Amino acid sequence: MSDAPVTPILEARGLTRRFHGLQAVSAVSFAIGHNEILGLIGPNGAGKTTLINLISGTLFADGGELFFAGNPIDRLPPARRAHLGIGRTFQVMKPFPHLSVIENVTVGALFGFGGGEHSMRIARERARDVLDFTGLLHRKDQYADQLGGPDRKRLELAKALALRPKLLLLDEVMAGLTLSEVDEVITIIKKIRQSGVAILVIEHVMRAIRSLSDRIIVLHHGEKIAEGLSDAVLTDPRVVEAYLGKRRA
Amino acid sequence: MLFAQLLVNGVLLGGLYGLMALGMALVWGVLNIVNLAHGAFIMLGAYCVYFLFTIAGVDPFAALPLAMLVMFGVGYLLQRFVLNLIIRSAPLNTLLITFGLNVTLTYLAQLAFSADFRIINPSYAGANVTLLGVTIPLVRLGAFITALILATALWVVLERTRLGRAIRATAQNLTAARLYGVDPAHLYAVTFGLGAALAGAAGGLYGVVSQVTPYIGATLTAKSFVISIMGGLDNPLNIVAGGLVIGIAEALAAIYLGPTFVDAISFGLLVLILVARPARSWRLK
Amino acid sequence: MMRRWALLALGVTLLAALPLVGDELIIQYGIDLLLLATLAQSWNILGGFAGYPSFGNSAFYGLGTYGTAIAMAQFHLPFSVGLALGVVLAVACAILIGVPILRLRGQYFAIATLGLAATLAALISNVDIAGRNIGLILPLTHNETMFYEDALALLVACTLTVWWISRSRFGMGLIAIREDEDAAQVMGVNTTFYKVLALALSAFFTAIAGGIHAYWITFIDPASAFDPTLNVRMVIMAVFGGPGTVFGPLVGSFLLTAVYEVLAASLSTAAALLFGLVIVLAVIFMPRGLWNLALGLRRVGWRYFMQNIQQHKL
Repeated sequence: MSDAPVTPILEARGLTRRFHGLQAVSAVSFAIGHNEILGLIGPNGAGKTTLINLISGTLFADGGELFFAGNPIDRLPPARRAHLGIGRTFQVMKPFPHLSVIENVTVGALFGFGGGEHSMRIARERARDVLDFTGLLHRKDQYADQLGGPDRKRLELAKALALRPKLLLLDEVMAGLTLSEVDEVITIIKKIRQSGVAILVIEHVMRAIRSLSDRIIVLHHGEKIAEGLSDAVLTDPRVVEAYLGKRRA
Repeated sequence: MLFAQLLVNGVLLGGLYGLMALGMALVWGVLNIVNLAHGAFIMLGAYCVYFLFTIAGVDPFAALPLAMLVMFGVGYLLQRFVLNLIIRSAPLNTLLITFGLNVTLTYLAQLAFSADFRIINPSYAGANVTLLGVTIPLVRLGAFITALILATALWVVLERTRLGRAIRATAQNLTAARLYGVDPAHLYAVTFGLGAALAGAAGGLYGVVSQVTPYIGATLTAKSFVISIMGGLDNPLNIVAGGLVIGIAEALAAIYLGPTFVDAISFGLLVLILVARPARSWRLK
Repeated sequence: MMRRWALLALGVTLLAALPLVGDELIIQYGIDLLLLATLAQSWNILGGFAGYPSFGNSAFYGLGTYGTAIAMAQFHLPFSVGLALGVVLAVACAILIGVPILRLRGQYFAIATLGLAATLAALISNVDIAGRNIGLILPLTHNETMFYEDALALLVACTLTVWWISRSRFGMGLIAIREDEDAAQVMGVNTTFYKVLALALSAFFTAIAGGIHAYWITFIDPASAFDPTLNVRMVIMAVFGGPGTVFGPLVGSFLLTAVYEVLAASLSTAAALLFGLVIVLAVIFMPRGLWNLALGLRRVGWRYFMQNIQQHKL
């Protein structure tokens, strides 16, 4: 790992977001390096998905700053952020139900990084490649709402990949998968990183987080309570307490 | 002097508008159905009261409860056996089906009652009360007071009765409500019936202060929309307030801008409000 | 594929040849039908593909009507200039109104459009050059065939545009907006721009239809130009036939108009009543339109109806 100071792909400073009096995200600051996998963990309701919404532009922050490759993006709408290279999945999956799998992914190829492809043919080819990469090619003509759970998760991932992102935000893509399915997804994510993409991974599957993350940050009640290398963070007493509650004497 | 009279006219009419909108807002807030046949329910309520008055000689205000009962039945049956069938379909479909119902009911009324103008004309129709130089027609005052009473009654039902709690629970979370033993088919039908009953009452009152034809529904549906949006779908009292705003705005517009602008006013207001509210608050429904 | 095109070309040629064999009444009926079909098809662009149902397109129809009428009756300009003026007015209105109200989601957008036509009618009835409440009279031309062919050409142009949309990147963007607007946004679709563009396209064709109608009918006034019943008729025809498809609105217009004429000829008021019932039944049993019904019957037979109800009931 080089020590030379390089602009991180994403930098957040003091991000804050309230909902009707509930502080969902509170003064969160962190950075993601250009080819880094950053794990994001925390108990339910900690604000992880809200944080992803703030980065992708689905929600705007009430305070704080957000930089992508050094440029401020706080007021950019989500479509512009996608053009810059931010891709995301949704925890509650959002496929285009009446379109086929390949059509779903083609949308990503048509509108992604740099404004996407203008040629339908090239976009469809890229969609095929992405489906092949994520193991969905055999289902390309099925309607998205006919897919089962694990395949829907792959479709979410494929749609985001079709954008050719520089930063990929994954929101619990492994929830509900079997052990071997989890391993498959871990392999896919590692391959994605190898192609030069930075990734922010929200997960509850600790095995995956440990295996994938270069660093981990922990959110609790909207605040960042820990940051560092996997083992250090996962054994940090504050993190343990957040998940399991205070030890009673 | 003229201004005060305008204001009073606007307030009296506005209270009635608020009552009209209540039924639509209730159905919209709980069932997420925008009922394009709402005006038809108002119209049918007006005919109920008209016939009770002219055939059975019942005083219009006294006839209201019976008209409300009839309209409740109509609404209950429609929701239970027709609307419940399509309720999980795209919102455009509920718009279309209620449009179809509106057409059906309007032309049924035309067939049954003819297109003639009817007026509900109790003996006290022309009587006025004069207060501080402002003339207040008794029937309009009566309509206004009745509207406020019914609005309060709705608030009481929603906030203080078991039924009201069940309705509010269903509006917020159907699945959870089901787990607590709510029968959604019945509850939805009751809610729609309540909306129709309120519309019917408003119709009866409208028939006393204005006229009754099969076609009065269209503009009244439109006004109820606007007021529902203005008042929001949470609180009946806000709806009444919205009604007052529209009533006053119309009264002023009729004099200062001309009668052609009266309809345009409500829609102008509607678009302004829809656009001015931050886009994100609409995500919730 | 080639066979399909050949059949279509044949159909259009036959339709174009109608004035040669039909009597005046049939041609007039045809003009009405073609214009109505254009309204449904242009509504389809925003309503069917993007899922944003507008109940205010008769505003654009009215602007097209008035643009043409003002140009021809007040300034004695030719028909094509009149149409152009109508289009400019309608598209400008679409963009001005569209930008603020297309930020609203589906249902709320629909409601915001409800009063558009009525408001414009009210405004126009105060404008002198538009003839205020009295209206305008256009130059008289007794050339039903010309109007018929114009209307047919308009419908073909509109349908070709919709066909292009259905296969283009623009169309995919609109469909993505319909299917899941949040997901479409994070995937890079500039949703507001696309929606406004779709509305402008809708306004374009709707305005020309209004202009042709104005010149044909010769007399216009605010009530008829901004006819509120048109709004719902075009929506129903598009939705009945199949929103988001290329031929759905055509099928819907032709069929529903035929049904209505048959009923009206025999039953009059009861016709309107039955029409309302037809709509109610259609929404229950074929909520995705006739086109989808045809496809569905082929795939699963009569179970299609029950499947629909099962999917959509409480």
